[in-house]
Amino acid sequence: MPQVRIVAKNFMDMVASLPAMKLDKLYDNPFICQAILRSLPPLAKKYVVQLLYIDVPVSAKLFEDWVLADGASKHRVAIDRLIQLRIFNQTLGRNRETTYRINQTFQVNLQKHIVHGGALPREPMPSNITVRLPSLEELEAYAVDQWECFLLHLINSSEAEKKTNISSSMMRIFQKGLISQRDEREPAKLTEGGFQFLLMDTNAQLWYIIREYISNSEELGVDSADLISFLLELSFHVTGEAYNMNTLTDIQRVTIRDLADLGLVKLQQGRKESWFIPTKLATNLSISLSDTSARKQGYVVVETNFRMYAYSTSKLHCEILRLFARVEYQLPNLVVSAITKESLYKAFENGITSEQIIAFLQQNAHPRVAERVPSVPENVSDQIRLWESDLNRVEIVPAQLFDEFSSRGVFDSACDFARENGGLLWEDSKKMFIIVKGEMFNLMKDFISRFR
Amino acid sequence: MSNSSNPNPDKGRPSKKIKFSNKDEVRASASVEEDEGYLERDEDDLRYGEGEKRDFTKLELKPDHVNRPLWACADGRIFLETFSPLYKQAYDFLIAIAEPVCRPESMHEYNLTPHSLYAAVSVGLETETIVSVLNKLSKTKLPKEMIDFIHASTANYGKVKLVLKKNRYFIESPYPEVLKRLLKDEVIGHARICSEGTHGSDEFTISKALGEVEGVHDELLNESDVAAAAEEKDTHAFEIDPAQVESVKQRCLPNALNYPMLEEYDFRNDTVNPDLDMELKPQAQPRPYQEKSLSKMFGNGRARSGIIVLPCGAGKSLVGVSAATRIKKSCLCLATNAVSVDQWAFQFKLWSTIRDEQICRFTSDSKERFHGNAGVVVTTYNMVAFGGKRSEESEKIIEDIRNREWGLLLMDEVHVVPAHMFRKVISITKSHCKLGLTATLVREDERITDLNFLIGPKLYEANWLDLVKGGFIANVQCAEVWCPMTKEFFAEYLKKENSKKKQALYVMNPNKFRACEFLIRFHEEQRGDKIIVFADNLFALTEYAMKLRKPMIYGATSHAERTKILEAFKTSKDLNTVFLSKVGDNSIDIPEANVIIQISSHAGSRRQEAQRLGRILRAKGRHQDRMAGGKEEYNAFFYSLVSTDTQEMYYSTKRQQFLVDQGYSFKVITSLPPADSGPELNYHHLDDQLSLLGKVLRAGDDAVGLEQLDEDADGLALQKARRFPGSMSTMSGAKGMVYMEYNTGNRKHGAGQMKAKPKDPSKRHSLFKKRFA
Repeated sequence: MPQVRIVAKNFMDMVASLPAMKLDKLYDNPFICQAILRSLPPLAKKYVVQLLYIDVPVSAKLFEDWVLADGASKHRVAIDRLIQLRIFNQTLGRNRETTYRINQTFQVNLQKHIVHGGALPREPMPSNITVRLPSLEELEAYAVDQWECFLLHLINSSEAEKKTNISSSMMRIFQKGLISQRDEREPAKLTEGGFQFLLMDTNAQLWYIIREYISNSEELGVDSADLISFLLELSFHVTGEAYNMNTLTDIQRVTIRDLADLGLVKLQQGRKESWFIPTKLATNLSISLSDTSARKQGYVVVETNFRMYAYSTSKLHCEILRLFARVEYQLPNLVVSAITKESLYKAFENGITSEQIIAFLQQNAHPRVAERVPSVPENVSDQIRLWESDLNRVEIVPAQLFDEFSSRGVFDSACDFARENGGLLWEDSKKMFIIVKGEMFNLMKDFISRFR
Repeated sequence: MSNSSNPNPDKGRPSKKIKFSNKDEVRASASVEEDEGYLERDEDDLRYGEGEKRDFTKLELKPDHVNRPLWACADGRIFLETFSPLYKQAYDFLIAIAEPVCRPESMHEYNLTPHSLYAAVSVGLETETIVSVLNKLSKTKLPKEMIDFIHASTANYGKVKLVLKKNRYFIESPYPEVLKRLLKDEVIGHARICSEGTHGSDEFTISKALGEVEGVHDELLNESDVAAAAEEKDTHAFEIDPAQVESVKQRCLPNALNYPMLEEYDFRNDTVNPDLDMELKPQAQPRPYQEKSLSKMFGNGRARSGIIVLPCGAGKSLVGVSAATRIKKSCLCLATNAVSVDQWAFQFKLWSTIRDEQICRFTSDSKERFHGNAGVVVTTYNMVAFGGKRSEESEKIIEDIRNREWGLLLMDEVHVVPAHMFRKVISITKSHCKLGLTATLVREDERITDLNFLIGPKLYEANWLDLVKGGFIANVQCAEVWCPMTKEFFAEYLKKENSKKKQALYVMNPNKFRACEFLIRFHEEQRGDKIIVFADNLFALTEYAMKLRKPMIYGATSHAERTKILEAFKTSKDLNTVFLSKVGDNSIDIPEANVIIQISSHAGSRRQEAQRLGRILRAKGRHQDRMAGGKEEYNAFFYSLVSTDTQEMYYSTKRQQFLVDQGYSFKVITSLPPADSGPELNYHHLDDQLSLLGKVLRAGDDAVGLEQLDEDADGLALQKARRFPGSMSTMSGAKGMVYMEYNTGNRKHGAGQMKAKPKDPSKRHSLFKKRFA
């Protein structure tokens, strides 16, 4: 079992896990303060606002008095989160009483932001310089394209047509946990985590990649706090507007190229100036932190006869379907496939579960069938589950067979011995065979050899 | 096997005996059955292997593709969106030119085959119309391969006609050069009868005939009724020997000379044969789909020969009777057995104004003759095809049948009748028009062309799901009930020495019995339903019926007893369940039943499954309740009980394939009877189970075998004589496009053929083969 469990945790968990020093440094940036405030649970938001202009520690008991009995759990969550993010500093006051005080940098920045309003470090470029900006649709298509191309490269698919500029070392970092390759000559295989990754929705996938990107940033000489702050800042930019590249630091300029390869921004070159245009993927960064409800339109129709029709032009979709179905026809905007026992067994072997497949089919149901209840025909979802549980009926235990006992007596006592040790799996007293658990092998051998 | 035709003409109803299969046969069949599974899997891999996936992404999408309903692939596959506003029109068009592969709710698949195109041409569609309409409906530009294929397949179609005039057969064509080409063929040249007027092979009889100009689908699919404008054309013809009609027709098929012959009957202008005075009664109101199927048959004012496919219970007989009343000539109606003969005679009297003396039945029991110079004769295939000695009376009637020029040859249940029987029947009787009716789809393919070319192309095929939605047939909830084998039964099942008892063991599985008993109780007591329990295995049938104290009918049950049981089933409140062996698959009409429980079945026969389902398809209750969104979601239930981990599971999936392709879904139920049910159901205690097991094991191998109906032996002999190339998947019906019957008894035969059989590519039609080579 691969140790990597893919959990599409949100960005804030990542922020929260930064060391204290870096976290404090992050709060130098008013945008981050705002983004963090937005991401908080409602009660935590309220606490922050209430304490915003209070400069002294406030006793924990006071907080508790505000809360009704049934809100206790929400209160705990809110406080935990605030402490985790170091927005609240917990101190023991006099009388050994717990008190909270708001992080000062955070407080000052947020105050400033409220009074003066925030301004991005850069303004959109005037349209007389940036002629021919892509329309929002074009930008969206570009982003989807880039992201897909990246994913195809990520899974080493031969279907990828375009090249990616992401360095192979970087790619390897992303692939870690998703793809395994025993040695160079062998084609790389998707791991269980990789399969699960492909079945996730785009936002979740993006998170996974960005997280990997951030956690490996130090190796590239980029400070992770800087990177996080830059990414958060980016999410406050306006989709479709052009921003001048020369407003970026050198390090940020390197980063922005990588982000362009992921489809977060589009780079354009004017006669003198060059600029970047954030796509929805970038501006969704801060939204998607907590909210994944903004879903794309589904594309899959599953029929009662186990045939699956996917309205998609995407090679990636095709690759994803191939994980658990047999692709039979590929048309310009339709992929026809069949869910078979064999194709599912292959998927189960690769660690995909029936529930994941069914959830994927439900989440991606074509609007035509999405309102139907259930969107995936009952007999199909039942059958997928049944096939999976069928596989689990057989439990495989490493075992050892013993035969050719010298006498009935030896056989009987060997049986008793194995039984006493809880290792007897099967016995045939006629033929004098016994099978014991594999871990008992040495024990058994020693026991039997005593009779020689 | 399930051919319920009866080879024994002097006993009009199927008689039965248990046929003891000999050892080797059973073993051979068992091993082949297993092999079959692997072979198929192999083949599937070959067909759909990653290397060979069909990539048509390069096809160019039209800008307004969203509004168009279908995709067409170069290999002949067509995908149709059912939610398109053009669906209805596209469906009518596709069903005319292509074979349906599967028709579930949202997306249908069709295959364009030479046969389907032949059918299209014979209902009056022209090559250019087919291409242009297809192009209009397609989301993409049509692949060039498909256009070429349509051209190549239809170039020769519709040019030659077979006409029966004054009891003589003529081959007609407006193109003398085509006739010359045909005559160069040895078989056809040999079959030619040179009449006195013509000398040498270059001269033909020339006559004026009505040509047809049809604008069917020209303006994108206006509800297509054919406007036939008459146009005078010279027609060239020569006469052929009636005895060799079949071989001539065979020579003209696409795999030989490729000039398939159309058979049309211009009955309105037939002054030679006397008219039969009968009309449809006013209360006989054909439903829209019945109307449509008739319009395909009489599209151009003539009667075309062909097959109409309607699900059981959808009113096939009304279609048959309507066709006869339109032609208004003598009609020979062939059914599979005496019971059906009675039913057909009844239907004729019910729907039409035919007078009693104009209709007669010809069976071993009733040898009637109609009065006057025209009438309807209802008989069985066996009565006509019988080759042995007949009674004097029968001989006279047969002679009469033989000499008459029939206006319509109406053939019921064409899928169950073996091909040799058809040949014989068709060579004995001379008819202007042949109409085949069937409930279960008979899928044609170049290997099983017989039906297609013996009768004619498929004229119409209804969509089951649409009929369900329209409330014309019952909405059936299908379920597969998984019954785990009990430990003791499974242990015996696995033993080698019990190989011949395998079936008995998994059918007699106490868990299955309990599930069956539970279902019977539930439906009798909770819903007041009428239930049929089907078992192919006689041993099981008897055991179940005795234990549950229910009446049963099998092959040996006398006619009188059958009638008594069925009558009680229909009328009595106390008799709600009846056990049937496979004699009930086709012929017994029990419109009251609405629940079927199947405890054993014939291996992987998709047809049997569909036929059995058909027993409960006749819609009951009020029409508006049955319509989509009406009160009752489901009003009929079909349970198939299978013992898990046995062969049955494998067969079961296979059997369901046809119905699944029609859009039915089988819900798997794993918890029957409910866990809390105890001794109120039989075989609760281990002792009872063990004594049952003992009974199964003690029974002779012969007793626990399959019921063999008399006709089975016949079918067996038949198949031995008739060899056909094809793969195992064809025979088992596993391949979606192919549909035919096979015979377990014949399996060892099949095994021999299997090895030498080439793989999939050979199955392609020659036109495709070239392209994909």
